Amino acid sequence: MGFLDSLLNWLRSLFFKQEMELSLVGLQNAGKTSLVNSIATGGYSEDMIPTVGFNMRKVTKGNVTIKLWDLGGQRRFRTMWERYCRGVSAIVYVVDAADRDSIPISRSELYELLTKPSLSGIPLLVLGNKIDKSEALSKQALVDQLGLESITDREVCCYMISCKDSVNIDAVIDWLIKHSKTAK
Amino acid sequence: MAQPLVKKDDDRDDEAEYSPFLGIEKGAVLQEARVFNDPQLDARRCSQVITKLLYLLNQGETFTKVEATEVFFAVTKLFQSRDIGLRRMVYLMIKELSPSADEVIIVTSSLMKDMNSKTDMYRANAIRVLCRITDGTLLTQIERYLKQAIVDKNPVVASAALVSGIHLLQTNPEIVKRWSNEVQEAVQSRAALVQFHALGLLHQIRQNDRLAVSKLVTSLTRGTVRSPLAQCLLIRYTTQVIRESGINTQTGDRPFYDFLESCLRHKAEMVIFEAARAITELNGVTSRELTPAITVLQLFLSSSKPVLRFAAVRTLNKVAMTHPMAVTNCNIDMESLISDQNRSIATLAITTLLKTGNESSVDRLMKQITNFMSDIADEFKIVVVEAIRSLCLKFPLKYRSLMNFLSNILREEGGFEYKKAIVDSIVILIRDIPDAKESGLLHLCEFIEDCEFTYLSTQILHFLGIEGPKTADPSKYIRYIYNRVHLENATVRAAAVSTLAKFGALVDSLKPRIFVLLRRCVYDSDDEVRDRATLYLNTLGGDGAVVETDKDVKEFLFGSLDIPLGNLETSLKHYEPSEERFDINSVPKEVKSQPLAEKKATGKKPTGLGAPPSGPVSTVDAYEKLLSSIPEFSDFGKLFKSSAPVELTEAETEYAVNAVKHIFDRHVVFQYNCTNTIPEQLLENVTVIVDASEAEEFSEAITKPLRSLPYDSPGQTFVAFEKPDGVPAVGKFSNMLRFIVKEVDTSTGEAEDDGVEDEYQLEELDVVAADYMMKVGVSNFRNAWESIGEDFERVDEYGLGPRESLTEAVSAVISLLGMQPCEGTEVVPNNSRSHTCLLSGLFIGNVKVLVRLQFGIDGPKEVAMKLIVRSEDESVSDMIHEIVASG
Repeated sequence: MGFLDSLLNWLRSLFFKQEMELSLVGLQNAGKTSLVNSIATGGYSEDMIPTVGFNMRKVTKGNVTIKLWDLGGQRRFRTMWERYCRGVSAIVYVVDAADRDSIPISRSELYELLTKPSLSGIPLLVLGNKIDKSEALSKQALVDQLGLESITDREVCCYMISCKDSVNIDAVIDWLIKHSKTAK
Repeated sequence: MAQPLVKKDDDRDDEAEYSPFLGIEKGAVLQEARVFNDPQLDARRCSQVITKLLYLLNQGETFTKVEATEVFFAVTKLFQSRDIGLRRMVYLMIKELSPSADEVIIVTSSLMKDMNSKTDMYRANAIRVLCRITDGTLLTQIERYLKQAIVDKNPVVASAALVSGIHLLQTNPEIVKRWSNEVQEAVQSRAALVQFHALGLLHQIRQNDRLAVSKLVTSLTRGTVRSPLAQCLLIRYTTQVIRESGINTQTGDRPFYDFLESCLRHKAEMVIFEAARAITELNGVTSRELTPAITVLQLFLSSSKPVLRFAAVRTLNKVAMTHPMAVTNCNIDMESLISDQNRSIATLAITTLLKTGNESSVDRLMKQITNFMSDIADEFKIVVVEAIRSLCLKFPLKYRSLMNFLSNILREEGGFEYKKAIVDSIVILIRDIPDAKESGLLHLCEFIEDCEFTYLSTQILHFLGIEGPKTADPSKYIRYIYNRVHLENATVRAAAVSTLAKFGALVDSLKPRIFVLLRRCVYDSDDEVRDRATLYLNTLGGDGAVVETDKDVKEFLFGSLDIPLGNLETSLKHYEPSEERFDINSVPKEVKSQPLAEKKATGKKPTGLGAPPSGPVSTVDAYEKLLSSIPEFSDFGKLFKSSAPVELTEAETEYAVNAVKHIFDRHVVFQYNCTNTIPEQLLENVTVIVDASEAEEFSEAITKPLRSLPYDSPGQTFVAFEKPDGVPAVGKFSNMLRFIVKEVDTSTGEAEDDGVEDEYQLEELDVVAADYMMKVGVSNFRNAWESIGEDFERVDEYGLGPRESLTEAVSAVISLLGMQPCEGTEVVPNNSRSHTCLLSGLFIGNVKVLVRLQFGIDGPKEVAMKLIVRSEDESVSDMIHEIVASG
């Protein structure tokens, strides 16, 4: 029956084309632009330049077109994150799990963002990046240090990924596609 | 006649109604701007909304900070759309909103992506926007892309990068200067606009390097420029080079003239005109050089395009001021332009004719002018007035009709500049044509009866005060002046009081009546008016007696103040009320060196009311006064000569010092003008220690220190030397500035009590033979030469070695001798191989000296000179030869 299924999917994609909008935020050098590249092409480059402002990418996965607002993580851009998170299907918060010193700042910036009334109820996906490095935190440690358990007013999910080795990228895409259906 | 007029209005109304944007409201448009946030963008709709926003901004509507920020961020979301038209609007919007630097940075990354996009339109516009919002650090990151863009094969992209370069040169010159190679390549571009922009940028990059500009022009005039616009630009740069190099190469033909002339045959009218205008504006242009330019302008005069006619007639109008003869050829064409539909062209044509025409045509032209005077704008009326003024000076016999014309237009409506031009003209005519004085003054009197410009009223009153008392019947002006005291504002009233007082002081018979009027002014509501009236009453002797006014009083009231007002102001500010009276002699008389531009600005043009032509007080008089006020120098006798100031420090050092050499019969006084340029310092007890070991005949006599030298107010210290009587002793003096320096707290302006002694090395000062020579001209050199006789004539010949040109050799000898060139012989005609220069002067001891110099130049620029000296004293004649031989 696999053939019929795929035919059905194809037909469905023609008629029920779905769109979703995501914002990628997080501190500088967390791997946001790399993640966009991973999702879009599966490629990885060590040689990245800091994003000055934002990058806008559209990625099509199956019958879902994902608009990605990849925002710069430097301090001067953080106040502007909120403007690009309004009305998105989900906020993706990327954390460098291997940079333990920056976790507290990351945590405070995340809470700062979540308190914005305009963003209430928007699902949050936290991604601990760079688990290919030996000093990376475990998932549980990350959840604890970011205090994710205390966030109750929205759906929260956490994955540990590596853009470099393409670990768990599929899971992220699946999670995103699943949420495109719930969004609007 | 009325019918079509009404219809025209209707048309306009209809047009306005069809404007799609008429009456749109900011609030509503901002609401509409929410479509930018829709998940499904409607590119067409968004473009429309942006158009509306841009319309509002261009209508002068302002957005609050919050509104602007909101719109800006909403617009940035439109980067997701791939619609080319919409993206273009986004670029425009970002430029137009120009949000604050910390916000606009958010689009940087998107713009950098667009800058490397495949769509040329994206690239060009992204470059423009990015360069507008970028700062130095970011610029270094994108520099590579900009360099590529400059040589891009798409002209729109290349132009965008070049224009951005022109803007960035203001803020980041060192970065843009690195693009020279790319810009140079772009100059060779086939695209007209790219060539134009590239040439503009290249010139700006090099503009401070005269040699580089000259090279640029030299290489480009050989004919690689295709674009007419770029060619026009090149012509402008060329004239600049000609202007700067003209002085050095007077011998040869004018450089680049051939290039300008060849441009007259260019196929683009724009280039032809630019070249013609450039030629007419050349410094000291000869009529041979002018002819081809005038010919093409003459052709333009009969062109069917109004803009060409206008351009030509305006240029010819300017030429007519300096070379009226050259323009006479165009008179016939010009006559037909008087009836041109375009009023501006007609005005310029008629004023040009006024300048070139002869006396017989004046009346006819005047009639024609009167006809259309009311149809033209003020700006052109001023042109007419200036033409009339020069015409009147040219044909003084016609003053009556011209003065009438001026007084008529003075009564009509007009703005300040226009009225000022008329008044200035009348004033100049009064000065230069004695017959016109009475009627001119009365016209001015009538004018101030109903003048809305305070400035003009006060100026005219001042002028009346000078000229009125000298007329046959001064009393008839009194009524006009006193009316001002009744009817005008305080400024004019005060001026009127002063004018009345002048009449009172200068015309004794009017005195009693003037006093009556002045006494009434004492009750004026304004204190300045009252003060003036009281002052004049008291000083002129208000007892009503018909007595001659004391000369001192006149001098005090109406004489000129020989102290720079700026210095007086500073001194008065420092003065603290105490028992000791303010001493006006304590005010420094040294004028701070004025910026060059200011000096250049004065002169040439006939001055109107602004400055009476008193001329600057000669510096010698000023020095003489200064020196005689110092008791130590009082027995030195009469000052023979003061040199021009010699700079003893480099520009922009801590202390600026220049020296003036004052020559007396038995003494030499060095006046050191010192300026302290450090706000944190106060210098005290300033002296110059002079080492005269290389000047054997001199012995130091007196040193007069400067007690205190605060920041930025010049002061003088003097050192006097004795020398043998009447002997032109020469020598070299080394100088050291010695002083006590005290720290000053700049916030309070108070100096510390303790000072430190310090010294500052100055440059050396030479006393040379030319210092003993005073420049005194003779009116008729031949007569003077004959009368002085050949008793003490000395003749010798000298080789001056290789010189750049004859001009240079001549000026070198003149400055060596320090004598006055006579009969304009210091100017060497172009291309001449030999020249005779006549000099005269007065040597110390009042010995008259005349010098005849004969120069010759041969192939390898070797200059030979024959020097013939005649004087009243044998030893002086020999001395002159010694000076030349040793120099």
